[in-house]
Amino acid sequence: MRRKLAVLFTTLLAVTACGANTGSGGGAPASSAPPGQPEKVVVGVIPILDVAPIYLGKQKGFFTKRNIELDLQLAQGGAAIVPAVVSGQYQFGFSNMVSLLLAQSRNVPIKVVSNGNNSTGEDGKDFAALMVKGDSPIRTAADLAGKKVAANTLKNIVDTSVRQSIRKAGGDPTQVQFVEMGFPQQPAALQSGQVDAVFVVEPFQEQVLSQGGRKIASSYVDVAPQLTVASYFASNQLIGQNPDLVKRFTEAMQESLAYADSHPDEARQIIGTYTQIAPDVIAKVTLPKFPAAVNKDSVQKLADLALQDKLLDKPADVNALFL
Amino acid sequence: MRVLLGLAGLVAFGALLEVVPRIGLVSPDFAPPTSRIAAALGDQVREEQFWVALLDTLRTWALGLVIAVLAGVVIGVLVGSVPVLRTLTASTIEFLRPIPSVALIPLAVLLYGSTVTSTLILVVYASFWQVLVQVLYGVADVDPVARDTARSYRLGPVATVRYLIWPTTLPYAVTGVRLAASVALILTITGELIIGSPGLGKDIAIAQASGAVPQMYALVVVTGLIGVLANLATRSAERQVLAWHPSVRAEVPV
Repeated sequence: MRRKLAVLFTTLLAVTACGANTGSGGGAPASSAPPGQPEKVVVGVIPILDVAPIYLGKQKGFFTKRNIELDLQLAQGGAAIVPAVVSGQYQFGFSNMVSLLLAQSRNVPIKVVSNGNNSTGEDGKDFAALMVKGDSPIRTAADLAGKKVAANTLKNIVDTSVRQSIRKAGGDPTQVQFVEMGFPQQPAALQSGQVDAVFVVEPFQEQVLSQGGRKIASSYVDVAPQLTVASYFASNQLIGQNPDLVKRFTEAMQESLAYADSHPDEARQIIGTYTQIAPDVIAKVTLPKFPAAVNKDSVQKLADLALQDKLLDKPADVNALFL
Repeated sequence: MRVLLGLAGLVAFGALLEVVPRIGLVSPDFAPPTSRIAAALGDQVREEQFWVALLDTLRTWALGLVIAVLAGVVIGVLVGSVPVLRTLTASTIEFLRPIPSVALIPLAVLLYGSTVTSTLILVVYASFWQVLVQVLYGVADVDPVARDTARSYRLGPVATVRYLIWPTTLPYAVTGVRLAASVALILTITGELIIGSPGLGKDIAIAQASGAVPQMYALVVVTGLIGVLANLATRSAERQVLAWHPSVRAEVPV
């Protein structure tokens, strides 16, 4: 047993040694670089519309002029990003607010350092929607009692937001049944009748529309006006060790967000560089809003709803989540 | 003739996948016909990103395979040659071997983030056992008479491995390498897909997240082609390495 374990560790060590020259982004948290040297910063993001500002900011040089050399790593989801930020593989990460509230409730040492993206706040014209098939008898969210709704992750932001839509429409939010399914699979599942409704973000909202689907609610809008859906965060360790870097990152993000918000055409253009979304779809999708500051009231509302739906077992200290 | 038949099978399969969405059995939005996938593939190969991703995948695969084969052969010969070690480790190996490599993803990501190293851990873990177990069987298969003869001639440990154990083990090891090659490829793509380390798997994930269905299938086809080529390569290597062995020497009836 001992020898076998030793062998296993040797193998792991060998792998690590080989990975050192091929791997990218691994290693200790960035320490202060010597003056004049750009600091290499790894940020974990997801290949979706929401992170267009950071790509645009990188292209526009908002980070390099603050001595930050940005390395954007595409991860599959927030679930992979949070541990990588905590362990120092990434200096910053992108995640939705409910995931961050849940992480906080489990004492994961992270803090929000910049806004990410917000809902448009316009009912029926948001970048995400609760949708049904064109010929579905479901007219409003209140009709979802006992129905199956696809959610990309169970017990997360989709859960909270859809329940709020049902509540607002006068239905019973406890009677809906969620089925876990990635966004890419949802249009097909809706079409084939495996689920009665889906909650999709762009570009899948556009795909469901093109198949004759119908929006019944803009759930992010139902939660709060201009809801902050996601944000960029760092580990408390990095914030303690290198507050200057965090400050420069936050400033660069604010400039990037403001630029993306006022130049939607350039934001659309940059989306084509890090996703595979077809150009004609990019032209049609509804973009999120990119305010420079987090809408803390909306996060408080989200935390209250998460508590009500029993995602959180105790009230969240929302202010403590922000730097 | 066999090659022709194989190709005919492939063409028929492609034709079937062309027809099924066209006659409406499945929605062409979700399962595009072969011609659209081929067109998407044609677009992909003109982009630099595709070749970068292909090279990344091949590099991770080859590196993982080499590490697994070296570790598997060395440890296999060592453990297999010492009966005490063999008995001591037998149950541990049987315990660790069926653990799916994919179950180690959270651990790997925690340790190394979404890097090549994380994917390599999966690849090495999964393919190592394929080689190790084959080598262990190979070492156990040494002819007792030959073993006694070697002992009578007082062959040293190095000579024993070189002239007694290795010739018996080699055909087993080569089978292990062939199995490991395909397992390593599967895990390379899976690791890239789930962890997000650079390569074709990551591009498949991006295409999927973008709703770019034909592009996604085009990349899936490429990974399938790599699998076919990898198998052809290991088989031809097998024939060369074992040219002396009765199972390959066609002129000698076995």
